[in-house]
Amino acid sequence: MRRTLLFVLLLPRNVCVAILSAYRSVVSPLYGDVCRYYPSCSHFTLQAIQRFGVIRGVWMGSRRIARCHPWAEGGIDDVPSSLRQRYELTRFGFVVASGHGKG
Amino acid sequence: MPDIFGTILWPIKWAVEAILVTFHTVLTTLGMDPDNGLTWVLSIVGLVLVVRAALIPIFVKQIKSQRRMMEVAPQIKKIQDRYKGKKDQFSREAMSRETMELYKRTGTNPLSSCLPLLIQMPIFFSLFSVLQNAQHELVGVGLLNKQLSTSFGESSLFGAPLKLAISTAEGNVLVIVIASVMVVLMTASQFITQKQIMSKNQSPEMKASPTYKQQQMLLYILPLVFAFSGFTFPLGVMFYWLTSNIWTMVQQFIVIRNMPTPGSEAALAREARLARRSQRKGISITEIDAAGEAVEEAKKTQRQQPVNKNRAKKQGGPKK
Repeated sequence: MRRTLLFVLLLPRNVCVAILSAYRSVVSPLYGDVCRYYPSCSHFTLQAIQRFGVIRGVWMGSRRIARCHPWAEGGIDDVPSSLRQRYELTRFGFVVASGHGKG
Repeated sequence: MPDIFGTILWPIKWAVEAILVTFHTVLTTLGMDPDNGLTWVLSIVGLVLVVRAALIPIFVKQIKSQRRMMEVAPQIKKIQDRYKGKKDQFSREAMSRETMELYKRTGTNPLSSCLPLLIQMPIFFSLFSVLQNAQHELVGVGLLNKQLSTSFGESSLFGAPLKLAISTAEGNVLVIVIASVMVVLMTASQFITQKQIMSKNQSPEMKASPTYKQQQMLLYILPLVFAFSGFTFPLGVMFYWLTSNIWTMVQQFIVIRNMPTPGSEAALAREARLARRSQRKGISITEIDAAGEAVEEAKKTQRQQPVNKNRAKKQGGPKK
């Protein structure tokens, strides 16, 4: 029951993870490296959504994209780590409930 | 939702229409048929030229910081050496992290940022919706009046209407043929651009990384992406994309030729070229490879003669 609830709860961010991963593997390479930051804007947004969910993640990502202009210094700009590590990531980047069950 | 999009895109759509109509008017004044597809295609090409020319300052800034990157080349090489042979993802990430940190510290970030790409996307979609509008013979948001909209919507190149895509061609062979040719051209230009960057403008360390192999594999998926877009987007939009791709290709060629990444194949080729040129002029300058180190060594080649104490005093002492 709890698992089902968590699955539904995490579904929106996992949908976003899937879309962003697809973008990062199909569209991004068309243009090569352009981002002045590390991690790149799309990678940053991906991590932010994984950690903070869709709404805060998209907001953080949008603000990061706004920072990424030719006059910006660039450099390292990591996603702040969330205080509570509630979930785990699969190899592909999907967010799943933590624990050692089948999940 | 569409309303929010419409509001955001409105100014861009207005600008796109203004540029299109301006080029169309100029071309008509020069004696071209206002209803001919070629006139409209050339107007679209004009739109690309204006957009990409507006992005040139950003490009120039990129070149400048790439020139300054030559100065930090030894430091970049140091980082690359430290991660030499380490091909796991963790080391690759640590390496990009350190490189990026160095760029920031020295103010030599050679990357163009995400903005130019993001600016072009709404332009692309605006053109798409302008064409869509014209297809239904609706009036545009700005200078594209009823008459021009109809002319744009009805225009065709060699008998292939610009508003059609393969998916809407309904068996119009000309549309399918032209769209296919454009897909091939786009794939070719993108292929050349990527190949240039990947094979010539990357250091051997970079080439050994798994990311590089992944990128190379993707190069072969590209035709599918373009085939899909040829299927969905009207010919007019495809012309925008194709012209833009060709511009990128030429721009990339110039950058790689003149401002290559230190340590890459293109950088070696450039050094060889410069050496040959100076040899032709009869001067042999030690190349600035590994920036500075070689020059310093070259200075020391003349051995200092041993001198006796008295003479040393005379030579080195300050004149009184």
